[in-house]
Amino acid sequence: MIHPPADEALERLWYQREKGRDVRFETTEDEERARGIVRRHRLAEILFAQVLEVDLKDAEQSACELEHTLTERVVDSVCTFLGHPPACPHGKPVPQGSCCKVYSRKVDPLVTRLVDLPIGSSGTIVFIAPKSMSRMSRLAAFGLVPGSEVRLLERKPSVVLSCGQTSIAVEDEIGSEIYVRPQ
Amino acid sequence: MSQLAQSLILIGNPNVGKSLLFGCLTNRYVTVSNYPGTTVEITRARAAFGGETREVIDTPGTNGLIPQSDDERVARDMLLTTRGGDVVQVGDMSNLRRTLLLSLQIAEHDIPFTLCLNMSDEARERNAETDPAALSETLGIAVVATSALRRWNIEKLKRDALRPRKATIHATYPQPIEDAIAELTGGDLRGCPTRGMALSVLAGDETLKPFLHGDELARYDDIRERAQSRLPVPLGVAIANARVAAVDALIGSAHSHPTKAQNGFRDWIGRISIHPVWGVPFLFFVLWIAYLFVGKFGAGFLVDKVEHDLFQDRLNPLVIRFIDFIHTPHFLRELLVGPYGIITMALTYAIAIVLPVVMTFFLFFGVLEDSGYLPRLAVMLNRLFRKMGLNGKAVLPMVLGLGCDTMATLTTRILETKKEATIVTLLLALGVPCSAQLGVILAMLGPLGPEAMLIWLGATVGTIFLVGWAASKVIEGNTGDFILEIPPVRIPKLSNITIKVLARTEWYLKEAVPLFIVGTLLLYVLDALHLLTAIQRALSPLVVGGLGLPAEASNAFVIGFLRRDYGAAGLFAMQRAGHLTPTQTVIALTVITLFIPCVANFLVMLKERGQRMGLAIAGFIIAYSFGIGIALNYVMKAFGVTL
Repeated sequence: MIHPPADEALERLWYQREKGRDVRFETTEDEERARGIVRRHRLAEILFAQVLEVDLKDAEQSACELEHTLTERVVDSVCTFLGHPPACPHGKPVPQGSCCKVYSRKVDPLVTRLVDLPIGSSGTIVFIAPKSMSRMSRLAAFGLVPGSEVRLLERKPSVVLSCGQTSIAVEDEIGSEIYVRPQ
Repeated sequence: MSQLAQSLILIGNPNVGKSLLFGCLTNRYVTVSNYPGTTVEITRARAAFGGETREVIDTPGTNGLIPQSDDERVARDMLLTTRGGDVVQVGDMSNLRRTLLLSLQIAEHDIPFTLCLNMSDEARERNAETDPAALSETLGIAVVATSALRRWNIEKLKRDALRPRKATIHATYPQPIEDAIAELTGGDLRGCPTRGMALSVLAGDETLKPFLHGDELARYDDIRERAQSRLPVPLGVAIANARVAAVDALIGSAHSHPTKAQNGFRDWIGRISIHPVWGVPFLFFVLWIAYLFVGKFGAGFLVDKVEHDLFQDRLNPLVIRFIDFIHTPHFLRELLVGPYGIITMALTYAIAIVLPVVMTFFLFFGVLEDSGYLPRLAVMLNRLFRKMGLNGKAVLPMVLGLGCDTMATLTTRILETKKEATIVTLLLALGVPCSAQLGVILAMLGPLGPEAMLIWLGATVGTIFLVGWAASKVIEGNTGDFILEIPPVRIPKLSNITIKVLARTEWYLKEAVPLFIVGTLLLYVLDALHLLTAIQRALSPLVVGGLGLPAEASNAFVIGFLRRDYGAAGLFAMQRAGHLTPTQTVIALTVITLFIPCVANFLVMLKERGQRMGLAIAGFIIAYSFGIGIALNYVMKAFGVTL
């Protein structure tokens, strides 16, 4: 993939400014472009690392490629899906986009892993991404399908959730494969 | 057997009270507990329903008609093979969603049934009541609210159970699936299945094979493949989702959503027992209570009273005097009250040493079972069990093993994979002492002080983890997912506990006492033929040389083959007579604990795991148990440890 050198340069400039160096963009347009690149890069990292659980190195590499190709609408969707996250997996700030402003008062993510809910709160299952298919049917037998309401009761020593009047203990891994919209 | 009675099958989700209801209907007791998986086998009993007789069949709980484990398969097969019988689906009224998910599948299999909403008392308490009349109208079948615990409305159930109808509940699936169903049920195939079977075929249920027409299997695969190619998600998932959607639409339209009930104390116990911090002290608290009640009270106080005060001081001298009084021939006298006498050895061991412990253990265990703590223990131990190639669900058979290893070996059916079942079978036979044996062990270790207890505990618990870990590496296969329903904390009912303790005690007496007598007879005969000393001499390199025990201890190992607890009781008698030093006691106890539990357990092992695996496990256990004993002996000698 060929990177337009201008992009790379702008990106580097943004990083330097983040480190507190005294650098300046020539135009506000350049600054906006740099901001967009870094935003796409870090959001892609979060998507890969936290949702798809790709390891951080691969996530970063793919993010490097995607930062130049994603359209603004896709980026805003990803950002909304991730709940307008403030920081990337490395702890660096994600520059805010126009979508974030709408939610500037409410920073709760739209969709989160079940295990990331606060204990005792509930959410509606948006999707389940299990490693094995038999797992999905077993969860369905307990009524755990997209659209169902679940409450997280305990995270340790095992993930315990309740669905309707039933409490179910599940594998830790399953707890991070169920994505919910918090209420 | 007289003429065949029509059958009546009870089917339902796990832990909804099928077994309790079975007891209500037939007046026969089957084990009832507060955790899923208590019933792993089919139980049958006859009962009168008005003027008619039915053979009532209790099945293991199942979440659906596509089985995920052996016990679920047993239930599904029973339902499909007993066509023409009456079917009663038992459900938990508080849990309408899961109940109806199963109802829908029964309806799809074209099976007429009656729905029994059990635990209605608990539903009322939790503010999750359902109006049976309204539900009956929606489903088009009779719906009866019951409480098996309070025997409420059983008569009405008995009447309605004989009038099963086909439910009108129906789910609509995505078009590719509906098309495939039409093709599968359309009559073009030989032995064309019902809608329910067609759906199981599409979901890829391999266990359904025996029910399908053998020549058409390739066509089934073909149809499934075509349907799958038209769907973005796996067929099984699409089917499950559509089912839940259909049930939710039904519940949403006819019934209000139940509100979460608050139940102060019980909820609090429930939360504490699986809390990441408080769960651990809670577990130790439970163990401590167990030790106080079973170890101190049962094995200490009660055994002392019964064995010493009753048998040694009163009963046995009385019997001996009576036998001498009527001038019994010498061999008969020896047979009854000699060193290997049926009364002085078999009955004294069985009634005086083992029984008090067994009863106190069953009492405590019954409370634990009915309270709902065991599934919570599984939650606490899941991560630990993962290291042994198991998951938290295996806690249930392992803890049950403390009651009886043989029964627990049968319970391995609730585990999903063969690997797990094999590992648990091995660990049960190797490291989990049953209540009878545990009692004797506690009684012997009690006076020796904490070091002895620690060595024994370390050797057994260490063995479980070490062998479990090694077995998980050696035995091929996968570990299933830990998905376990956690029932609400319930206050144990005295009546159920009493019945359970009595039933289990009766079972112990029937099972153990005859074997104790056989064992004693064996020793008596061997002794009379002077073979016992020969055996003692033959085993002497192992027992005396290897383990550092007196030759006499061979007897305990010989009868230990029959029952481990009998062997332990033999050691107990030796210790009391002052023939064992504390160090020898610990070594002997460790070996007998790790030994094969009993003949019955050995046979069940062969039956459940197959001859080859069963024999392999037995061979390993014998070698391992003596190996550890010898190692312990040498290590303690080398370090000059004396207790």
